[in-house]
Amino acid sequence: MESTQLAPIPAAAGQTQSMVDEVDLTPVRTYWQLVRQRFMQHRLAVVGLILMTTLTTMAIVIPTVTGDAYQKTSLTLANHPASFINPFAPFGFDTIGQNIFIRLMKALQTSLFVAFSAVTIIVVIGVTVGAVAGYLGGRVDNALMRLVDIVLSLPSFFLIVMLVALWGSGNPAVVIFAIGLVGWTTAARLVRGEFLSLRETDYVQAARALGADDRRIVLRHMLPAAMAPVIVAATLGIADSVVVEATLSYLSFGISPPEASLGNMLTNALEFFFRSPALIFIPGITLILVVLAASFLGDGLRDALDPRQRVKG
Amino acid sequence: MVSETNAPLLQIEGLKTYFHTQDGTVKAVDGVSYEIGDGKTVGVVGESGCGKSITALSVMRLIDTPGEIAAGTIKLHDRDLLKVDAAEMRDIRGNSISMIFQEPMTSLNPVFTCGDQISEVVSRHMSVSRREAWARAVEMLGLVGIPDPARRAKQYPHELSGGMRQRVMIAMALSTNPELLIADEPTTALDVTIQAQILELMKSLRERNRMAIMLITHDLGVVAEMADDVVVMYAGKVVEKSDALTVYEQPHHPYTKGLLASIPRLGEKRERLAVIQGVVPNPLNLPQGCLFKRRCPYAMPICDTPPPLQEVHPGQLSRCWLTPGGEAPAVGPDASGDVAAEAAAALTVSA
Amino acid sequence: MAAYIFRRLLQSIPILIGIAIISFMIVHIAPGSPIDRFRSGRVSPETINNLIRLYGLDQPLLPIWVENGMSLLVSLFLMGLAGVLAWFALRGMRRGRTGLSVYATGLIALLLMGGSLYLIITGFREWQLLVTWPGQLINWMLAFLQVWRPDAWGYSFTDGQPVITKIAERVPYTLELMGTSLVLTVIIAIPVGILGAVRQYSLSDKIIMVLATIGYAMPTFWLGLVLKYIFAFQLDVFPLFGRHEFGDDSIVDLVWHMVLPVMTLTIVSVAGWSRYMRSSMLEVMRQDYVRTAKAKGLQTSRVLYKHALRNALIPIVTLLGLTIPSLLVGAAVTEAVFSWPGLGGLGVTSVIERDYPLVLAFVMVGGTMVILGNLLADVLYAFVDPRIKY
Repeated sequence: MESTQLAPIPAAAGQTQSMVDEVDLTPVRTYWQLVRQRFMQHRLAVVGLILMTTLTTMAIVIPTVTGDAYQKTSLTLANHPASFINPFAPFGFDTIGQNIFIRLMKALQTSLFVAFSAVTIIVVIGVTVGAVAGYLGGRVDNALMRLVDIVLSLPSFFLIVMLVALWGSGNPAVVIFAIGLVGWTTAARLVRGEFLSLRETDYVQAARALGADDRRIVLRHMLPAAMAPVIVAATLGIADSVVVEATLSYLSFGISPPEASLGNMLTNALEFFFRSPALIFIPGITLILVVLAASFLGDGLRDALDPRQRVKG
Repeated sequence: MVSETNAPLLQIEGLKTYFHTQDGTVKAVDGVSYEIGDGKTVGVVGESGCGKSITALSVMRLIDTPGEIAAGTIKLHDRDLLKVDAAEMRDIRGNSISMIFQEPMTSLNPVFTCGDQISEVVSRHMSVSRREAWARAVEMLGLVGIPDPARRAKQYPHELSGGMRQRVMIAMALSTNPELLIADEPTTALDVTIQAQILELMKSLRERNRMAIMLITHDLGVVAEMADDVVVMYAGKVVEKSDALTVYEQPHHPYTKGLLASIPRLGEKRERLAVIQGVVPNPLNLPQGCLFKRRCPYAMPICDTPPPLQEVHPGQLSRCWLTPGGEAPAVGPDASGDVAAEAAAALTVSA
Repeated sequence: MAAYIFRRLLQSIPILIGIAIISFMIVHIAPGSPIDRFRSGRVSPETINNLIRLYGLDQPLLPIWVENGMSLLVSLFLMGLAGVLAWFALRGMRRGRTGLSVYATGLIALLLMGGSLYLIITGFREWQLLVTWPGQLINWMLAFLQVWRPDAWGYSFTDGQPVITKIAERVPYTLELMGTSLVLTVIIAIPVGILGAVRQYSLSDKIIMVLATIGYAMPTFWLGLVLKYIFAFQLDVFPLFGRHEFGDDSIVDLVWHMVLPVMTLTIVSVAGWSRYMRSSMLEVMRQDYVRTAKAKGLQTSRVLYKHALRNALIPIVTLLGLTIPSLLVGAAVTEAVFSWPGLGGLGVTSVIERDYPLVLAFVMVGGTMVILGNLLADVLYAFVDPRIKY
């Protein structure tokens, strides 16, 4: 860690040491530099970042390169064990001859895609609702928070299952929207809370006094400040969405074969316990890695963006 | 301090408390020594961050990581508190030495009644029954001037005002008749009128119990009211030590002079308030030599050498190169270390 | 306090109505009619028509609303408008302004009020509320509350059994799992959390945090699968699924079957709760009053368990209240993995089979539990923290 304990600068001829020491040489850092520094101090957060980037890159590159290969079945290759000599099938083949590794990468891609998209919806809806409620306050706030209460009161997982089952299981778009529509409430509450307190800050009052209209105040002054908890919530939301999507697919509600998802790779794994236990562990561990990466990243961002470490549940 | 007829109750010698942070080591207390006599009140004055509170916490051995007491001795009646074991220290805390803190709002546990918290400390240190402990708690509440103490004892801290909470803290601290009370900015968080009441209370209790007080504050007015002796601290070191009267009438150290000068006086006509220019040095980037030199109106080349604490008048010590008369010392313009040592040796050195 | 609870319950009613509306809408707008399952060729067209009429499915949603409900809507709107204007007018009059505008506003308000009353009186007979879906909804909601009637929640489409019975008979099974898991979680997670906080940064703390994070990251169903693999399959210690071996009703057998699903649920819960407990404890230990307690010379254990813990448990208690709702609905996935005959499985099945009465009942039950759970959490909080007054 760079130390700010600086070596004394010797006085030149004709100067007293006092004159030289006059200058306080503590380095000045900008907010984002401070954030980055704090983030880098969390080893876990950095690990999370690296892991997440690696997984995402693999998920983008490999399926693009291999194309349709994840769907290719082959009875001759069925249950072929993992052989690290073969660079194309480091995990072997499953019961219907699909290349586990390639399928895993495609599954990772699908799951990550669903998670990222769902979180985008969550953030868009949540931030909009929260900002409107927090900024306008009063009755609008009451009404919107009532809506949030209602959505929150519905049993969320059950509701997602319901939405997906009724509107088309197997359709990734439905899954994305279902997760998004049910999950935006936390983000909305966070943004609303921030906006309610930001509304009374001096710099917002000043902006208003200078004649800035509402839209400008919200967009330019308040949103950036309120984004910190949203960023954290979004990152942790990715972790959550991946698990929800996997669970849905496992129960055959979400993505269904021949499309691949980390969840549906596990659907029939139980039946083939005795033949290839790898079928259970490999997708599961990948899933855990994604969740861990996103969680570490989220925790690290939370500490980096707000060093006061509010412990809010 | 000048020799007293009674042996000092508390003797702090060369205390060094450091904090190891990721940006470097902060020397919050760097070689501090002073004494508190039996039944005497010592006012410890200084700006925020000068180390006065840390000194008090070090006496109580309440310093937690990343801080540590790196060196020094703290003697309570010849017993070095830094060397006793943890259990013994716990017996001393709240019993021989009690401490009250700055924020009465947050210093009391919100989920227990006031009476509960006072009787707790009584039961801990004196073997009495629960009923007796409660009775003592109510008695103490009455003593500190809380009306209807029996009812108040059953109330929770949030049901009391700030001034009353501080009284509860005092009651709690005094319930075991300690020999020394450490009061860390007890009135800073209170209104001026309440402040006056609390000070009156402390004075009367001090009389009653013959209790020594370490009064930590940045308010020179409070010190003038209460203290027998004054210790002025700056950036982790003691810069002036004397009895209260001398400090107010004959301050030696430029910092003390600056502090006293900055108090506006009633009836005085000024265009601008007097201030001490500059800011407290960054603990991670302390100046070489005298820590006050960047702000001192008397700064001289010799100030690049750290001045020792010297007795400039009988009973008054000051950490400054200025002569007892307040003038520049008689040394050449390019003072080297040797010459400085010479000048230092010419005066009586202590600490 | 009683007044507070009553007020909260009153506030929950609009939420319940909102939940009912949303679920009703989802069910009715979703593609695929519930009658479809009967169009198997073996059911006569008349029966199908009867069913359609019975469940009000032949009523198109919007046109009915327009026909019969439009005037109601208009009159309500007019009344609202009248009310707003009247308020303005009254306010103006109270402030002593006697200008033309005040009187004009008042006059218009009166006219609007008269108009809406007229609409209401003349249209009343035409409003067949019972046939339009808001009427259905209100009927349904009223029926929902009459829990003592076995047919209150309708009959299941799948097997015609009363919905209440179907749900009620599965409730104890789910409670077995969730209740045991909750108790175990509390017993394990609290000490673990305290340990981690007290020994922050030590080896035990790091181990606890790592385990907790991993446990938290694991999807429940995967953990269930893994546990099944290890214990039921490889080691053959516990059964693979189900609640009883056929014909064996003993407690021992029940417990034996419960071990794996309860373990699955508990591990994930403990991971979350212990992290929560640890951070709460850390936060409390930083507070000034803990420093005061130490300055009083109290024993470390006393400082910890009396002063710190008592405060640190407050958010945990709230968490407890909030976990109540998931007691019934939260084990769905685990029940699926272990084929445990509980509510979760029933819920999922009901959605697949478009068994709408059952689905609606589930959503309402879930919603009610959440509202009750929130209320419980708030009440417990007020109970435990003397600073809170209602």
